[in-house]
Amino acid sequence: MSVITIRKGHTLRIGGVPESSIISLQPVGRVAVSPGDFYGMKPKLLVKVGDEVKKGTPLFADKRFGDVVVTSPAGGRVSEVLLGDRRRLEKIIIEIAAAGEEAERFPACSLGECRMLEPAAIRSTLLRSGLWPVLRQRPFSIIADPQGSPKAVFVSAMSTAPFAPSVSRGLEGREHFFQAGLFLLGRLTGVPVHLSVSADETAQMLVKAEGVALHRFRGPHPAGNVGIQIHHIAPIRHRDDVAWYLLPRDVARIGELFLTGELPTDILVALGGEALSKRCHVRTRQGILLEDLLSGNDVRQPARLISGDVLTGTMSGRTDGLGFYDEVVSVIPESHRRDFLGWLLPGRKRYSASNLFLSGLYANKGTRLDTSMNGSRRVIIPFGNIESVLPMDILPTWLLKMIIARDIDEMERLGIYECDPEDFALCSFVDASKMEISAIIREGLDYMQQNG
Amino acid sequence: MRNLRNILDGIAPHFTGEGRLQRLYPLYEMLDTMLYTPGEVTSRAPHIRDAVDMKRSMVTVILALFPALLFGAWNTGHQHDPLAGWGTNFAVGLQALLPVLFVSYLVGGFWEVLFAVIRRHEINEGFLVTGMLYALILPPAVPLWMTALGISFGVVIGKEVTGGTGYNIFNPALVARAFVFFAYPSEMSGDAVWYLPDAVSAATPLAVAASVDGASGIRLLGEAGYTLQEMFWGTVPGSFAETSVAAIALGAVLLAWTKIASWRIMAGGLLGMSVLALIGNAFASSFTNPMLALSPMHHLVMGSFAFGLVFMATDPVSAAQTDRGRWIYGFGIGALVVLIRVINPAFAEGTMLAILLGNAFSPMIDYGVLRANISRRRRGYAKQ
Repeated sequence: MSVITIRKGHTLRIGGVPESSIISLQPVGRVAVSPGDFYGMKPKLLVKVGDEVKKGTPLFADKRFGDVVVTSPAGGRVSEVLLGDRRRLEKIIIEIAAAGEEAERFPACSLGECRMLEPAAIRSTLLRSGLWPVLRQRPFSIIADPQGSPKAVFVSAMSTAPFAPSVSRGLEGREHFFQAGLFLLGRLTGVPVHLSVSADETAQMLVKAEGVALHRFRGPHPAGNVGIQIHHIAPIRHRDDVAWYLLPRDVARIGELFLTGELPTDILVALGGEALSKRCHVRTRQGILLEDLLSGNDVRQPARLISGDVLTGTMSGRTDGLGFYDEVVSVIPESHRRDFLGWLLPGRKRYSASNLFLSGLYANKGTRLDTSMNGSRRVIIPFGNIESVLPMDILPTWLLKMIIARDIDEMERLGIYECDPEDFALCSFVDASKMEISAIIREGLDYMQQNG
Repeated sequence: MRNLRNILDGIAPHFTGEGRLQRLYPLYEMLDTMLYTPGEVTSRAPHIRDAVDMKRSMVTVILALFPALLFGAWNTGHQHDPLAGWGTNFAVGLQALLPVLFVSYLVGGFWEVLFAVIRRHEINEGFLVTGMLYALILPPAVPLWMTALGISFGVVIGKEVTGGTGYNIFNPALVARAFVFFAYPSEMSGDAVWYLPDAVSAATPLAVAASVDGASGIRLLGEAGYTLQEMFWGTVPGSFAETSVAAIALGAVLLAWTKIASWRIMAGGLLGMSVLALIGNAFASSFTNPMLALSPMHHLVMGSFAFGLVFMATDPVSAAQTDRGRWIYGFGIGALVVLIRVINPAFAEGTMLAILLGNAFSPMIDYGVLRANISRRRRGYAKQ
């Protein structure tokens, strides 16, 4: 099988990599669900404070497509509904029942029956269980439209993002769920399911998976990003050329839902970052509060808590829940330090993907990487470092300029629909003029969505 | 050190918000971030950022210029009096170079700050490079008032009128140099301008090679006593820092390795120059033009080709900005240098004009590359 080799990019050598040990950690008393995890969602609240909910009971629906609901990851009682500006729903807190936690039941079937299920039945169970939102679509990286028909489904089983847990480790013991999930996705959509793995992947459940088109990728981050893989396998041509994508762990959860008849909420999370005392992998429940996840961990202050990886995650507080799609929690040093003549010194301790510092000779070993901007905002000087980390046949500098100019036609011609903020995170990282490139890409996509 | 930080923090309120000196904030920002790295943190993903910034990038160019600058200082003294010791040579050269450099920075810096204050934007570090480049490509005998006028024109017309750093069409240092060249032709041509006052002057290699019709340029150089080695090491008359290809090569290696300058432009330039020079060689016997006989090696070591290609053509803003475009742009400049040197009798040197012409065409080159990218994408989409 041919391997798609990615040459551009940069795999971060960031300190605080999680150890491979897996511990089990369950939420203490509460879980949180937040509509902010679902980009573009317009939530409609379906419960009120004091309501009894089961695991799998709908909490809020998406006003755009009414049948998409997000359900409770735990059985118990709604203890808080937090509203933000203009009464926007921000967070729902569920108090987990101390004993006898109840769960909604969904139709169960065997692995063999899975392959025979009608697409409409699969869709309806996914929607009712609240597992539908694991399916997202490109362009725009929003929840997949249940009435829409994608051209293909993409699953990236290659993790190159900082601290990301190994896919095969996360699926250990759930091989049959994963396989069932792949069958179900094929039945549901009737289009090819593309599974991408690393060139040196050996896990049987991945390389011998049935009912998929297998692709092998090799190269530095972002080679494992699904957007990059879509670009190389079947690029998004226009706004209606929709591809669906989901995480491998969620493929397994879809399989588990249908095989057990209960909403699966078990997930594997990697805890990493230099500010943590105990970096490890944790088996836990969807919606766990970060403070529970970090219990038993000394956080060296000042630190920044990020639900997600350091390149794409969300800045969070201790009482926020783990993001719906997040597999990593990163805790990195927050730094306001100001180095005297920092731009002039050799820079043995400064992390850079360029060769501009002494650390370049040591492959960035022994450098520190914290939340500092490491420079001030300046005009674009096209040195070419943005291009060097974007493994797509896309000219990023021009695309950015066209986005800023709001030139719809030119954005389309330059391939905006293929782009996603997470694929441009490294561009923001290496940019010498400190532009928020990911955010600009998001602005462009939003603009296209509204006006295109 | 703590005190300095305290002083800066103490005066900060005057420059920000409602402070009395808030118009001068760009000056404060410059001083503050020059002394200390800015303490700002990321506010959104990605939460970490590379250590690279504009200051580091620009100071790397300055560093790359140092071998050529130091050698140039020595050579300026050496051309003045070849018999004095190297220490004297160096001192004499510095004495000539430093005032020019100082005036360039002072006058150019004034305009830079003035525009930053009026337009309310930060002072861009790129000027550190422009000011130095300009000084280094001036002939040693340039009067200081001319230096000041040139850099004023370069910064204001070459850069600020089109929107400032990042928006300029032409390399501002070259615009400044071109201004001096065309505004004061009588002062800026001839042989004496390449020497400090009161020196015994001789024609530069390029002038020598073009001097006698019907002869071979290589023979003329030999008769004047210019060897390839001499021209490679740079002990010949010329602008402050352009003569030594050896010193320039050191800078080129640093720039290419740090990727601050595009190696594609440099390689394209060498290629373009070689191809055109070889074509010229093929016709050397059929025409009386003495320059046709010059080999690519000669073109490389003579005049300002190497300096221009490494430090001026690679200015990322005025050059082509796509990788494919950079090859075409570099090739075009290399070819034009030879064309102007050989075919155009009015100009002995073609580098400055070739690069300015390259600058003018770079948006068009990029446009072509961009359209090719778009139609490639369209074809790829159609196949799916």
